[in-house]
Amino acid sequence: VVGRDLVTDAELAALVGTRFPGGEYTIAHWENALLTDCTERPPMPADLAHPIVLFHVPIQGAGTSIGALFALGGGDGRAGSVTLLGYDWEYLRPLHERILYRVEGGIVSAERTHDENGAPVYDDMAFSIELHEPQGALAARVTNRWRFLR
Amino acid sequence: MTSAPRAGDRIPPFRIASVDAQRMKTMAAILRDPYPIHWDRQATTALGLGGRTVNQGPLNLGYIANMLMAWAGDDAIRRLRVGFHGRVLDGDSVEAHGIVESVATTDSGWAATCSVWLERGPDRVASGTAEVASFCDRAAEGERP
Repeated sequence: VVGRDLVTDAELAALVGTRFPGGEYTIAHWENALLTDCTERPPMPADLAHPIVLFHVPIQGAGTSIGALFALGGGDGRAGSVTLLGYDWEYLRPLHERILYRVEGGIVSAERTHDENGAPVYDDMAFSIELHEPQGALAARVTNRWRFLR
Repeated sequence: MTSAPRAGDRIPPFRIASVDAQRMKTMAAILRDPYPIHWDRQATTALGLGGRTVNQGPLNLGYIANMLMAWAGDDAIRRLRVGFHGRVLDGDSVEAHGIVESVATTDSGWAATCSVWLERGPDRVASGTAEVASFCDRAAEGERP
């Protein structure tokens, strides 16, 4: 992970509207099976994807990565430098293995909180990504919020 | 579930007796997650966590999803909105819980809004809202694209 300890206020504000490269993603059976096992439930029926594919599939499919998102937010990936705030995951269509999803998204908010002396305490960043089926139907939308501690 | 739920219904909980560090490592590999708190005991020692690794947020949400799927069907989840309030460490025991807040009748079944949360002992380490719909709703929308 390549990042900086602190982005300026202007740099942080300019992140809003940043688009990821975009791309495509196909959920493989092996990754769905392993992911499902990690949650300690039996395998999903047929080729239905486990709901938590909506963490890595949007990120990787959009052509970015956890490390790249850390760097965008000015984090260096050190233990304790980033905190998870929350997710909003919408499932508009069932998600399946072996479907080529079109994936697009970007940064939708970035806000800095200062202490009483004006020093940055943390930055909250949110990104939103959509998955579309091959015929164009919107299949899922995620909005994830992360906090970068300063 | 064979009949529509009612507001106030409690969803059968989903329990993890001991969160497994090895599963966190597998998860980190799938996610391509470089954040060391999920797989490096030295990193979590430096954070004062006694070398216990930190479970990924998606896994914590996965326990809630598993509870919902066992209750309403494997393709019943329509939306998950959760906030995270605390860490889950390897070896922790956690339980996903939920309660039905409201139910609407649809053309082909029902749709419910539920409060959901993940407990570690007395603490709620994640909480939020889930929207689920009966299986027949999804079937009516079409199956595999």
